[in-house]
Amino acid sequence: MEIGQSAYDFELPGVDGKTYSLKDFADKPVLVLFFWCNHCPYVKAYEDRVIQLANEFKDRVAFVAINSNDPTQYPEDSFENMKRIAQEKAYPFPYLFDETQAVARAYKASRTPEFFVFDEERDLKYHGRFDDNWEHPNQVRHEYVRDAIRSLLENDIPHVSHVPPIGCTIKWKH
Amino acid sequence: MRIELLYYPECPSHERALELLRDALALEGIDAPIEVIRIDTQQQAEQYRFVGSPTIRIDGREVQPQPHLPYRLTCRAFLHEDGRLSPLPSLATLRAALRNTHPEGGDEDGNRSIGI
Repeated sequence: MEIGQSAYDFELPGVDGKTYSLKDFADKPVLVLFFWCNHCPYVKAYEDRVIQLANEFKDRVAFVAINSNDPTQYPEDSFENMKRIAQEKAYPFPYLFDETQAVARAYKASRTPEFFVFDEERDLKYHGRFDDNWEHPNQVRHEYVRDAIRSLLENDIPHVSHVPPIGCTIKWKH
Repeated sequence: MRIELLYYPECPSHERALELLRDALALEGIDAPIEVIRIDTQQQAEQYRFVGSPTIRIDGREVQPQPHLPYRLTCRAFLHEDGRLSPLPSLATLRAALRNTHPEGGDEDGNRSIGI
């Protein structure tokens, strides 16, 4: 998905029993949509950081996690395990299951985690990784998603619009 | 001593894993070659008993065994001493694995299985 393109709409089930589409987040001026899963160690490395950022901006930014992995090959990524992990970690964002993988394909997502930050018009303004150091949270120098959010909340354009995502590949169905 | 590092190129952790492994060897004073094996297919994953990238074996023994995992092409998680899950084993885990196999090493209690 290219910078400037509009967000694709979807209709996906969440671990809370609700069904979500873009209109459910229309009250927030910024949307952070990210591809996520249960088994990837890079997701685990970023889990607490993403939860912290979502809590920090919960009043003005909608965070939405989507798992598109094939659970037949990766049983850890099943919907039941999504429910368990979201509850255990008290995810402060909807965690949605893209069973057909159509949403991941529409967004041309390839990794978990992979972040898409949209402005109020739901045009893509940042795409890529969360920050510049998955290994050492205390050595992060550039917080790409946070910086993009701040810029958009100040009606500015993010200084960085794309940094290749780092993580596991999305596990496509054969 | 036979040291193997098996990796799946789509998982970005292998280069850092190789660095860590070299650091662990240096710190343990072990001069041994590292056999780096690239895994590209599911067939290879099964042939090499590869449960994820990186897989590191010392004399055929995993530095952190995860026997419940299937053979597959993905990144794997390692449990660190502080309870974190990481795409890489900790330096302490690698050093313990080397010591446990080394002739002057200690016992074999250094490995732990994790469930994810």
